[in-house]
Amino acid sequence: MVRVEAPPKEQAPPAVRALVLPVVLLAGATAAAVVLVPEAARIPLALYGAVAIGLFAWCASELSRRRAAVAALREQHAHRIAALEHRLAQHDEETVRLGKELMPAAVHRLRQGESPMEVMRAVVDGDDRYRELPPAQRSLLRSVLQIIDDEEAVREASQRAFVNIARRVQSIVHQQASELREMEEAHGRNPEVFDDLLRIDHGTALIGRLADSIAVLGKARPGRQWPKPVPLFSVLRGAMSRILEYQRVDLHSIAKVAIIGTAVEPLIHACAELLDNATRYSPPQTRVHVTAVEVQTGIAIEIEDGGVSLSEEARSRAERMLAQAQAGIDLNDLGETPRLGMAVVGRLCQMYDLQVSLRQSAYGGVRAVLIVPRSIVTTGPAPGIAHGIGATAGPKGSPNDLPTTDILRPANRPPRPVTGPQRTAPVVTPAMEDDIPVVTEWTENGLPQRRSRGRAPLGSHNLGLVDNGHAGGGRTAAPGGAPVPRQEPGPTRSQGPGRRADQGYGRESGREPGHGAGHGAPAEKKPGPGIWLEAFTKAVNGTPQEPSAGTAQPPDLPGDRGESDDVWGKGDLK
Amino acid sequence: MTTPPQRERRRPDADVADPERLYVITGGPDGTERASLDLVTMIVARVAASPMVPPEQATILRLCRAPLSVAELSAYLSLPFSVVTALLTELLATELVESRAPIVRAALPDRSLLEAVMHGLQRL
Repeated sequence: MVRVEAPPKEQAPPAVRALVLPVVLLAGATAAAVVLVPEAARIPLALYGAVAIGLFAWCASELSRRRAAVAALREQHAHRIAALEHRLAQHDEETVRLGKELMPAAVHRLRQGESPMEVMRAVVDGDDRYRELPPAQRSLLRSVLQIIDDEEAVREASQRAFVNIARRVQSIVHQQASELREMEEAHGRNPEVFDDLLRIDHGTALIGRLADSIAVLGKARPGRQWPKPVPLFSVLRGAMSRILEYQRVDLHSIAKVAIIGTAVEPLIHACAELLDNATRYSPPQTRVHVTAVEVQTGIAIEIEDGGVSLSEEARSRAERMLAQAQAGIDLNDLGETPRLGMAVVGRLCQMYDLQVSLRQSAYGGVRAVLIVPRSIVTTGPAPGIAHGIGATAGPKGSPNDLPTTDILRPANRPPRPVTGPQRTAPVVTPAMEDDIPVVTEWTENGLPQRRSRGRAPLGSHNLGLVDNGHAGGGRTAAPGGAPVPRQEPGPTRSQGPGRRADQGYGRESGREPGHGAGHGAPAEKKPGPGIWLEAFTKAVNGTPQEPSAGTAQPPDLPGDRGESDDVWGKGDLK
Repeated sequence: MTTPPQRERRRPDADVADPERLYVITGGPDGTERASLDLVTMIVARVAASPMVPPEQATILRLCRAPLSVAELSAYLSLPFSVVTALLTELLATELVESRAPIVRAALPDRSLLEAVMHGLQRL
């Protein structure tokens, strides 16, 4: 039986046909056996044969049925596999799409300042292709966006903290700078103190630049605001004053233009950083040359140093830094030893449309060219021209007007304002009116302006200079209490000197309270330097003069002018 | 008059201040000896201002076409005395200006001599 079962297994397709032959053979063999065997054995043999044939037939048919079932199952299985693979591929594709299209788009929108919810609405629900996004992906996207948003918020906060601190430093530095300026004015005649003050001033300026840099990198605007246009020359000197080795910088042929107020501070800062780079990376004995020429697009400021040239690699690194900064720098990218300079310049360039490029200099060093766009350049008159003494200042009359004739011509004093035009203005600004006596006329470095020595001219002088129509009473009322009419020279003058002694020469005298009052009478005649000189020459030449002019001098010139006091003491004798 | 009000009075000036600091104008406290200039030293320019000199020096040269004292220069430039002396030191070194020292004490007759003369005259 086993013998006959084997063949149909190998025989494959027409199962029934394959079965027929063995069944027929088996039946034949059984019939032959029945014929051959003796009578007695015929019936059981036939019975067995029939059973065997039936059994075989059943087995065979069962077998073929199962084969068919297996085949069907196999086919089904293959189908399933194919379907699953297809599904898998689809899934992969979706993931890729999520990663490559959806996520970047969403993050981009997030960076634009939209909230995660808005982004989800716009990117996922607003797009047909993504509307059917499975919930899992949807939630994944949402949580990723949320995380990014949180991170961004944290970074923003830390940046704000940075900027905040920088702002505080800036304000302290600014405060200190203006106080130092006052001290410089106050101690202007003591060279040792003055030099020390300058040194402190310089250090303060350096700190200020650092604070500015931090603020700029924190995406804030530079600190100070300049209300009026500032000439380019002053801007560049301002930049010089913020670097360590400003003495090595030479300014040549600076274009006579001014920079509009809003752009002054960033330009100063950018130039300062470039100058700092130039001085820092060149040998200490070399000079750094700065020129500023007009070009088609604006002003080109060239900063050229005599250092080693940038290697191509270093140059590309610097330019990359600039480009990076223009794209928006991350404080975290600066590394452990931050080289802020280029980053700051790049950032400023991006904010204010400046262009900067680094090239090889003809001298072998680096030439940085900063193009200032025409939009922030103005050719109009700049009020703050270098200490008010630029091209517009200086004596305009004939030279004879200057020292002596001026003094002797008391009543009409047109020449005077011409010579010191810018600086007389602050003296009479309303902010200062309240406590400055009318009589006095001071420059802010504590020196008296020249004025006529005489008696009557004083009043007329006041009228001429101060009479802006208002506040006369308020001002004259100042120290003594009772309002004093301007036209009465006597009382006004007697008030004046007491204050003057504190204000100008009298740093020392201010400390001892009785001083000003004690010398009130003699001090009242303190004239300006021109008068003083004239009186002096007169004294020397033996020209007679009224005694009061002589006696007036010593109390007003304490301390550091000992020698001259003596001279005046002699004048006294006359 | 105490000190704070003085500060107060000068404050407005700080608002219009220039971006440049004084040490840039003087060329820095480099420790070099300043020329011995007095407030009353007379300064006179020897040459006209050329475009090559910085603006402050140019202004000094313009102002000093006729002799002018250092104190007056300081007032006109509204720069502290020390700044002016530093500028003048430079100009003197390059011989663009000339200074004429004021008549010093030694050049004057001695005080006792004058007194003696006075008394003598009074006794006449």
